[in-house]
Amino acid sequence: MAELVRTWSVVREDLRASRILLRAGWRAALVYRASFLSAIVGGVALQGTQLLFIGVLLSKFSVIDGWRLNDVAFLFAMRLAAHAFYVVPFGALVMIDYSIQQGEVDRYLLRPAGIYLQVVTRHAPLMALGDALLGFGSLAIFAGQSSVSWTPGKVAFLIAAVIGGGLVETGMQTFLAAFSFRMTSTISLRILADDTITRFSGYPLTMFNRWGFLSLTFVFPMAFIAYLPATMLLGRTDQLPTATWLAAISPCGGLIIFTIGLTFFNWMTRKYNSPGS
Amino acid sequence: MPVDTLSTRLTGLRGLYRAGYRSVLVYRADLLFGIAGLVIQATLTVVVWRVLYDGHDEVAGVGASTAVAYAVLAACIQSILMPWQFSSLPLRVLRGQIGVDMMRPRSLISQNLAQAAGTMVGRLPVGAAGLLTGLALGGVKAPHTLPDLLAWVVSMVLGIANVMIINLLVSMIAFWTVEIGGIMILYRFGSAFLSGALIPLWFMPGWLQPIISWLPFQAQIYAPLSIWFGTRHGVDLLGTLALQLGWVLVLFVLLQLVWRRAVHKVVVFGG
Repeated sequence: MAELVRTWSVVREDLRASRILLRAGWRAALVYRASFLSAIVGGVALQGTQLLFIGVLLSKFSVIDGWRLNDVAFLFAMRLAAHAFYVVPFGALVMIDYSIQQGEVDRYLLRPAGIYLQVVTRHAPLMALGDALLGFGSLAIFAGQSSVSWTPGKVAFLIAAVIGGGLVETGMQTFLAAFSFRMTSTISLRILADDTITRFSGYPLTMFNRWGFLSLTFVFPMAFIAYLPATMLLGRTDQLPTATWLAAISPCGGLIIFTIGLTFFNWMTRKYNSPGS
Repeated sequence: MPVDTLSTRLTGLRGLYRAGYRSVLVYRADLLFGIAGLVIQATLTVVVWRVLYDGHDEVAGVGASTAVAYAVLAACIQSILMPWQFSSLPLRVLRGQIGVDMMRPRSLISQNLAQAAGTMVGRLPVGAAGLLTGLALGGVKAPHTLPDLLAWVVSMVLGIANVMIINLLVSMIAFWTVEIGGIMILYRFGSAFLSGALIPLWFMPGWLQPIISWLPFQAQIYAPLSIWFGTRHGVDLLGTLALQLGWVLVLFVLLQLVWRRAVHKVVVFGG
């Protein structure tokens, strides 16, 4: 019991620290209005071009691997909204290389908060607000136009899936970022992962044949971001080369992948060598 | 007193060109992940387009093999022409190193263009890896005739000049404001769409095609590739090349004008 109380008090302290650090980060970022607006426009442009791409494609082809325009648009919107749940709270993770190279992590070690918490609250990722605007906006529009017959249960599943999808992306990026403690620079590896997710996770992934799909589910698990939960909502689980229950519990995939990523990150912090600045 | 001949001018710029490609080759891990990224992208792109064409012989007058080859070649060309950091100018303005650049006996424009050319040459292995992947998957088609190939070379050179000048023009916004992250992202992804790097103009909606065809971006990737696939002949081909050349000249004049304004805006940080 005493152990449980101690753990809870550590979690409470971390939450308090993250609240303070996040508030400071966002206040600092919001002071510069022009950069605030240009960052939001940039965030919308980054993901919006993919939406345009899909829109133009479907206006000519109307069906991808048996999925009609409205359902592909819904799948894409789920991916965009899930991405927002990664970049808004965890977008600062992108600066991990810089924090290590400049010796900022030395200071993190001295403060009474976890390294991961300080890395993700290092600055407020303004561009992420553009991602959120586009993600939630498109989900609000395309969810209604999809062929899903909405019930309160399905709405709850969608919310869980989108948060879970964000955690999948966060977990994958956290796992890759952990290598920075040994390799110093992993930015190109993380851009590679981000680019692959941005370009391809909004498609019906079974189009990449059985082995391609299994790789994108169990090796590079981007199927959990939007595709698996979308098949559940759209009643398309019969297309999956895996068991249906995997799609049913797919929102939980985020928790598992994030836990693996975070555990690995914390373990890799032991490998940190100060640059000596 | 040293004479400023063409040879000495080129020697100075050659150093910056070398710095450009060395800046790519020195980060081997970045280069390797860049290569891996394009191999994955080319592979998945081929699959996506083939699945899209399932059950269609032609869409908008374009066959499956042409659409697949276009997507692969466009991705390869874009990976060379548009590296993630396509200009060092904004960072040099932010760090105050622009002061040193301006004291050099070569114009800032030629310094930056030489460095950008070097960066593109350094990224050739990335594009080559994507091309080999496309070839291995049977997703690349050669030009129909030798004249098409020669016309493509001319068109591609004009396309590269177009990209280099617009990249530098956009980077010069850094002289007015240092917070240009959002603008650079908007430009990067906007130009990718408008240049035909993501999707050829053949598939664009009818109302959008004339607008895009009068913008400078389509002269970067779509124009050379439409020549590669033999869709332009005679007057149409000459008109395409003339439009590309016209854009290069107009953009270069615009670059000079912006630079003349920018030089009065320079604030060197750091003292």
